[in-house]
Amino acid sequence: MKKVLALVLAALMVFSLVACGSNSTAPSSAATGGSSTGGASTPAASGSATKAAVFYYSFSDTYISSVRTALDAQLEAAGIEYTDYDGNNNQTTQNEQIDTALSSGYNLLIVNMVTSGSSDTATAIADKAKAAGVPVIFFNRAVEEDGNEGAVLGAYDNIAFVGTDPAEAGHMQGKMIGNYLLANYDAVDLNGDGTIQYAMFMGDASNVEAIYRTQYGVEDCDAVLTEAGKPALEYFDSANTNKYQLDMNGAWSAQAAQEYMQTNLSQYSEANGNMIELIICNNDNMAEGCIAALQAAGYNNGEGTTTIPVFGVDATDSAKALIAAGNMTGTIKQDADGMAGCIALLASNVASGSDLLAGTDSYTKDTANGLDNKIFIPYQEYTGE
Amino acid sequence: MSAIANMKQGMAEFKAMDAKDKRSKVIDTLLNNAIYILLILFVIYTATQNANFLKISSLVNIVSLAASSLPIALGIGGCIVLTGTDLSAGRVVGLTAAISAAMLQASDWANKMFDTLPEVPIPLVILAVILVGGLVGLVNGFFVAKFSLHPFIVTLATQLIVYGLVLEFYMLNGNNGQPLSGLSDKFKNFVTGTMFSIPAGNGQTVAVPWYVLYAVILVGIMWFIWNKTTFGKNMFAVGSNPEAANVSGVNVFKTTVLVHTLAGCMYGIEGFIESARISSNNAGTGLNYESDAIAACVIGGVSFVGGTGKISGIVLGVFLLRIIFVALNMLSISGNTQYIIKGLIILIACSIDMRKYLVKK
Repeated sequence: MKKVLALVLAALMVFSLVACGSNSTAPSSAATGGSSTGGASTPAASGSATKAAVFYYSFSDTYISSVRTALDAQLEAAGIEYTDYDGNNNQTTQNEQIDTALSSGYNLLIVNMVTSGSSDTATAIADKAKAAGVPVIFFNRAVEEDGNEGAVLGAYDNIAFVGTDPAEAGHMQGKMIGNYLLANYDAVDLNGDGTIQYAMFMGDASNVEAIYRTQYGVEDCDAVLTEAGKPALEYFDSANTNKYQLDMNGAWSAQAAQEYMQTNLSQYSEANGNMIELIICNNDNMAEGCIAALQAAGYNNGEGTTTIPVFGVDATDSAKALIAAGNMTGTIKQDADGMAGCIALLASNVASGSDLLAGTDSYTKDTANGLDNKIFIPYQEYTGE
Repeated sequence: MSAIANMKQGMAEFKAMDAKDKRSKVIDTLLNNAIYILLILFVIYTATQNANFLKISSLVNIVSLAASSLPIALGIGGCIVLTGTDLSAGRVVGLTAAISAAMLQASDWANKMFDTLPEVPIPLVILAVILVGGLVGLVNGFFVAKFSLHPFIVTLATQLIVYGLVLEFYMLNGNNGQPLSGLSDKFKNFVTGTMFSIPAGNGQTVAVPWYVLYAVILVGIMWFIWNKTTFGKNMFAVGSNPEAANVSGVNVFKTTVLVHTLAGCMYGIEGFIESARISSNNAGTGLNYESDAIAACVIGGVSFVGGTGKISGIVLGVFLLRIIFVALNMLSISGNTQYIIKGLIILIACSIDMRKYLVKK
């Protein structure tokens, strides 16, 4: 009996490895890192054809999933062999995956770093690539600290960054909110005290994008308001000196936002005359969590209910649908297809043996710091089709 | 009545003691109830700083937050009674939440995952998530019982496997990892809709959601299972000493498998409730849920020593964690401090728990 069972188990294990191998994108297990891609086809060490290893910070991120789907399709169309890796939100795991990929003969690294905005991490990866003579394309998450531009991107050849200007989404969100408020000031100011009480939900305390969105989402809105002679925004809880509520798992999750908002609503309501009049979120997931809490308390339910303006970033499909239904007010679109298209262009350059940055002149680049290899995919405001 | 008689007897015994015994008895009582005393002090302090803390709307908020995390804690409690644990709980919640959401999206929702899926009756969905959760639990229990593996290892493995399934699930049918939302009104009303409203004084009413009732029902069912069934008694017997249980005719294999399966069913229900409560589910849903559930159990006196624990303790542990969450928010204290306080409470609670056990020995 025991022997049979052992046999079945062994067969199961072999089967799972085979199943893994038949998939062109080998999802690597989280705990053991890249070594578990065992079944994936091993590229020849001679490396005549381009074999790209794509490292994502986390498969569970909504926006990153959109990029992954788009990039998979575009790399396939370009005839470039690739393997996707899940860093599972752990830089150590990702570094190990990169080591494994390099040693198994991949000759193009496409990296979405876990530790956003750390030039040390980026340097370590760039060094590995340089030692192996392999080009690196970083994307999405910043590779250098603010004020330290060029520390990585300026120091290596055959390196590029495709991402967003980390401050841009925050600036854009702030301006969008400011303009929205100017157009609807009296309707938003529920208690008629002349100032707007807002709540801010932050996705991750250590992420550069989150920090800028939290800062500029309010500052730029204030700038628009004060220019028009209106008072600046006021955080709803005067005792909270942070002026934001943070997802402590750093997961930008709807659940964290929902629980904070539900707790806030137990103290702050229209009847008490202290209702939160504006909600700013670092991303659309958190915005949706807030809307869930608002709806449970009888707000944002369409006709006949008070709608609290909620703003997010990402323009996920579900956020767009909420905006269309009038339950959410606005978001900032991150262009997943545009980002994937640019990465695929760079990868094709590598494959065809031309210059890494050939044909990228039409993109916005970090000209302020003279970095020709730092490409920005612009954000766009989204308030409905 | 017997409680009063007990107290009277206790008082009489206390009076009969000499001064030294009296002192140690008082200290013992204080230490054994330290967690409750600290909680009461904490509540009083918070209430003096922010009067809203004890108002109806805030109390309802605490109750509904606690209700939302009760099912998973009730499930994981059984695993801890068997001296084990369950690391896969959070991911099972994530998987079942995704399944519930996918089956119960509004038919007119633009990004419906299975766009041709007709309206699924809610009982069928509940059955499905219980089955899926139970299946993972069954696998956990089987490997723990059959190969005498530590549950830590088994559930670590299933945690990874289930997470992989969750990621695959969100990629299904061209969904490409987008969050699952746009849930049907029927589903939302069934879970988060208003069960009844309590007048809050100033002309307002505070709505109590339906899932509070579901949590109460689950507490009732689990209390019955733990205290009134042979299976419950067997569970405690296996938890305190598997060899002895085996010798006295308890089927250790069956009991272990069943405890884990039951736990899995509870995670399924948790996933169903969370799905509607959060209303926007993505692959990260359920992350770290097990750590809060385990913390609630050990704070409530479900001991890792095995064979001890009460349903009332689990309920208390869940409430304590939620009270801390709400109170720190109302005190406008940053989340960082919340980690420290939570950690300290777990440490104190477990030390007191072990102290009781050591004294008994």
